[in-house]
Amino acid sequence: MTSVIGSRVVREDAWGKVFGQAQYPADLNLPGQIYGVVLRSPHSHARILSMDVRKARELPGVAAVLTAADVPRNSHGVLYRDQPVLVAEHIRMVGDPLLAVGAESLELAREAAGLVEIEYEPLPALFDTEEAMRPGASPLHPEVHGLSNVFYHLPVVKGDLNKGWEIADVVVERDYSTQMVDHAFLQPEAVLAHVDARGNLVIQVSTQYPHYDRGEIAHALGIKVSRVQVKTLSIGGSFGGREDISLQLIAAMLAYKTLRPVKMENSREESFYSHCKRHPMSMHYKTGATRQGKLVALEARIVGDAGAYASWSPNILRKAAIHATGPYEIPHLRVDSYAVFTNNPWTGAMRGFGAAQPVLAYESQMDILAQELGLSPLEIRLRNIFRTGSVTATGQLLSGSVGLEECLQKVAPFLRQEEDKE
Amino acid sequence: MKKRGTGLGCTWYGTGYGNGFPDVSSAFVEIHDDGTAAVLTGAVDVGQGSSTVFAQIAAEELGLRPEDILVCSGDTDVTPDSGTTAATRQTYNTGNAVLKAVRQAKLRLQEFGARKFSCPSPEGIELKDGMIGVRGDPSRSMPLSELAWEARLLHGERFISASSFTAQTTAVNLENGQGAPYWPYAFGCQAAEVEVDTDTGTVRVLKIAAAHDLGRAVNLTQVEGQIAGGVAQGVGYALLEEVELAEGRIKNPAFARYLIPTALDVPEIESMIVEEPEDTGPYGAKGLGEPAMLPTIAAIINAIDAAVGVRITSLPATPEKILAALAEKQRGGSGG
Repeated sequence: MTSVIGSRVVREDAWGKVFGQAQYPADLNLPGQIYGVVLRSPHSHARILSMDVRKARELPGVAAVLTAADVPRNSHGVLYRDQPVLVAEHIRMVGDPLLAVGAESLELAREAAGLVEIEYEPLPALFDTEEAMRPGASPLHPEVHGLSNVFYHLPVVKGDLNKGWEIADVVVERDYSTQMVDHAFLQPEAVLAHVDARGNLVIQVSTQYPHYDRGEIAHALGIKVSRVQVKTLSIGGSFGGREDISLQLIAAMLAYKTLRPVKMENSREESFYSHCKRHPMSMHYKTGATRQGKLVALEARIVGDAGAYASWSPNILRKAAIHATGPYEIPHLRVDSYAVFTNNPWTGAMRGFGAAQPVLAYESQMDILAQELGLSPLEIRLRNIFRTGSVTATGQLLSGSVGLEECLQKVAPFLRQEEDKE
Repeated sequence: MKKRGTGLGCTWYGTGYGNGFPDVSSAFVEIHDDGTAAVLTGAVDVGQGSSTVFAQIAAEELGLRPEDILVCSGDTDVTPDSGTTAATRQTYNTGNAVLKAVRQAKLRLQEFGARKFSCPSPEGIELKDGMIGVRGDPSRSMPLSELAWEARLLHGERFISASSFTAQTTAVNLENGQGAPYWPYAFGCQAAEVEVDTDTGTVRVLKIAAAHDLGRAVNLTQVEGQIAGGVAQGVGYALLEEVELAEGRIKNPAFARYLIPTALDVPEIESMIVEEPEDTGPYGAKGLGEPAMLPTIAAIINAIDAAVGVRITSLPATPEKILAALAEKQRGGSGG
């Protein structure tokens, strides 16, 4: 019926990317631009006792040294504005931005940042989620998130778990854990910000959501969104790492303050510290099935390390809980999912968004159960997968477009049977 | 000794913001005087190809070639807000907004065409192969370029539209998690064949067979691209990548020590698509972005167990962990 939909149309940006005309933010320059750098915290948890920026400001060629005092509204964040643009006092992680320098050259900017004298009072830090969850553990965000480091908990409850264990013939119980990872996009953060002929701030950047960035920049500077333009250029990968706002907010402030174009570009090391990470999760799974290979019970506890700031953590741990069963019908279950603050680098969006980590747990459980029951991995899945009309752990009816069985049938020929093993 | 095994991974993924949060995308459309068209959305193409998808949708509706469609995206001075490029939502969400906006402009063209060709209803007017005219009567048709030009010059008529689309979900109950938090769901299965070296503990992924239900493939090349990228990222997550911390400090903030897959680590990939159409999606499309990497993780871990009989329960499955598990197994432990 159609010709264009479902075809192999060549990407509209293919030409520019193959022949090199594609422009990434680091490719941009404007006459008279200055270079911005951020000084980041070497401490995972500390209080700033004093900060002396006089030597940095007096260095010839330095256009501006910005501290928390220069930020009209010093907070940002996708769900909660719990993250400072520049830390005023309370440092919560290594890499927290403390101040920004704009200077005539990158070298000068770095030199000036090195002249800033900061006195810290190191504070006891929490790096382990179980420790951070204990009653009495010192709360990381008492102002915004209250007196517990557990700032999100979702239980998903269905059926009668006791009954589930009663009818289960086989029960498998294991602990699983996933690691912290970085998006490792090939293009580190870069931005060019300037004030244009209209007096508006123009920010050219790689971002996943320019309208969100515009709102955060306007908020931090205390100006209207109609005075801010965020324009995206070619993007060298994102995977969730360009969701929370990053350098573009600091470059915008430097440009607004100095009325000079401001160029900022992260090194790889700086990049590792200036965007979120994927949540490490620890997952305890107890799964029960009948002799016939039908799943009947699941009890799971999922704990995600949010690091120092909330970012998307509540949504991510919610997503983990909702997807914890895998694509299988389980009549009796309880899943508890928690997001916990620690003094580790903050974690947030990354491809899979909380539905990636439980895959390790639920799919390992399926294979272990299959082994115990003498079924093939394919067979146990066919006996439990979602089909049209299935009901999920949250009681949602899957009313259509459930092509899972066909997916399974398509990959089945690639699986080696027991008897094929050498 | 090198041993081979295959493993299976089966996953699901709720697309969109979810949980009742208004998931809105918007699009503007303008038909130019020469019969080409512009589509403006805030949706950023992060490399996955959404701009090309929007061009295809507009071309499909207007009977044009995709190269006749100008897609402008991600400029807050110019484009409407289309939400973030995340949550596997741009083909479905902004795709739907583009489709609605294009159909609005198209209806105005059809109305103009119905008057022009004395057709009783706009539905009788067809846009195909750059022409507009009465369905089934080639004698009553003309190039869209001429009609658009004539419409402006003789009648001052323009074909410009704006529309929004909002995905439908509900918030989960905070006491028991019950609700309809996502829609639609995408599904996928992958089989991995791996080779484990029992002397060094290294794992080579030889092949991934991937089957994904994405509702409808808008662009087959881009679907294969998403699957290839997802598999590569899944290989990295399962076997290589880890941000190592010491007291909250990153020990390996450089690619010399933070290992991501290279071309040598990416296996042969066989991608297969399953098109179980989603009624609410543009042409039945759901999405594929994030789901593409999920089954890879489990397929590899399960294949390692099939090959050498050890179950790795913490990612990444490094040679050290595999050797330790093999040694444990030899001593008669559980091998986990």
